[in-house]
Amino acid sequence: MGRESKVSPKYDILAVVTLNKDRVLSGKPLTLLAQNEEEQKEMTDDIAKALKAEIVRMKTNDFLIIRE
Amino acid sequence: MPGKEFLTTSDINVIVTAILIGTFARIITLKEDFRQYPSYPNGYLIHLITGFVAASLGAVALPALLSKNFIAVTFLTLAIQQFRDVRKMEKESLIDLEETEFTYRGKAYIDGISKTFEARNYFSLVVALVTSITIKLVPVKGWLDIIIGIAVGLLLLFLLVRISKGKTIGDIAQVKAGKIEVKGSELFVEGMFITNQLGSDLAQKLFKDEGMAVVIYPNEDHFRINLENYGQRQAALFEATRSLGLKRFHYTRRDFEDGKVVVALVPIKKDMDALIEVVKKCPLLESVKKPNSVMKTNLRGR
Repeated sequence: MGRESKVSPKYDILAVVTLNKDRVLSGKPLTLLAQNEEEQKEMTDDIAKALKAEIVRMKTNDFLIIRE
Repeated sequence: MPGKEFLTTSDINVIVTAILIGTFARIITLKEDFRQYPSYPNGYLIHLITGFVAASLGAVALPALLSKNFIAVTFLTLAIQQFRDVRKMEKESLIDLEETEFTYRGKAYIDGISKTFEARNYFSLVVALVTSITIKLVPVKGWLDIIIGIAVGLLLLFLLVRISKGKTIGDIAQVKAGKIEVKGSELFVEGMFITNQLGSDLAQKLFKDEGMAVVIYPNEDHFRINLENYGQRQAALFEATRSLGLKRFHYTRRDFEDGKVVVALVPIKKDMDALIEVVKKCPLLESVKKPNSVMKTNLRGR
């Protein structure tokens, strides 16, 4: 990747929305626990819309809300 | 008036003709092309005035020398400083605009553009200087010397424009439409992973329905050095978003295996032919180190 990582966009993780309470840890970023998948999607969409951010769905089914 | 020396009509003819041809050189190199730069109307006026000043400096250099005013020629150093200021001004202006564009031009592209603006002022100066020298040197008088001077100035301008014309991505690579696949939250173009940022259903639908991608295949392996340069890819992406607009999402990715480069985006105007054309015509940046074969310039144009 060379020096690309220094010049390409840098993202901040604004929030994590998970269904697994074991992954809800203190500190940054904000981590939210959803009760079910539907609620998880709604929470993620609402936060992403409000913050004009992008959503990444991890293979663990957690959602990351990130922004440049 | 004793002690005062006035310009002769002949000198005035030389100076005025050279200034006009020098300014004309700036006018025809100040074009608004598909890349849309300069993109701001006031930019025209600024560059025309600086071109006029450059032409004036070139035009009066020879008459100043002939009148044994050798010190006056030192103002050519002023010209160099002025042109550097043009470059600096252009660079600062484009950097200021970075935050308002769909994507960043990138520092490499801005450097290339500002260098071009500086070089075009030298066109004005050199064309005006050569025009005035020619008019003075040709052994014929009357209007014929002026006509010959104009012809030589225009010929020089033609050659300078040809020589300074850079190459484009289309000269060293094939640009083809890329097949978009959205698998869950991941985006692939021609089987190459691009991003996993399509986490929401809306984003996935948007890219499936309206996303576009092109793949750049280098003609030779060593062209990968240019095409995979981050500044070069950013320039291609910028030109794509500038021409077609941008709704959301824009990516460039490179494949380490075969050197292909992908440009993917969701444009406002969905026109694949235009996207291919604009990426093909994106200039190769001078700041990117190139093999000799790429730097070789054809005097007759491409």
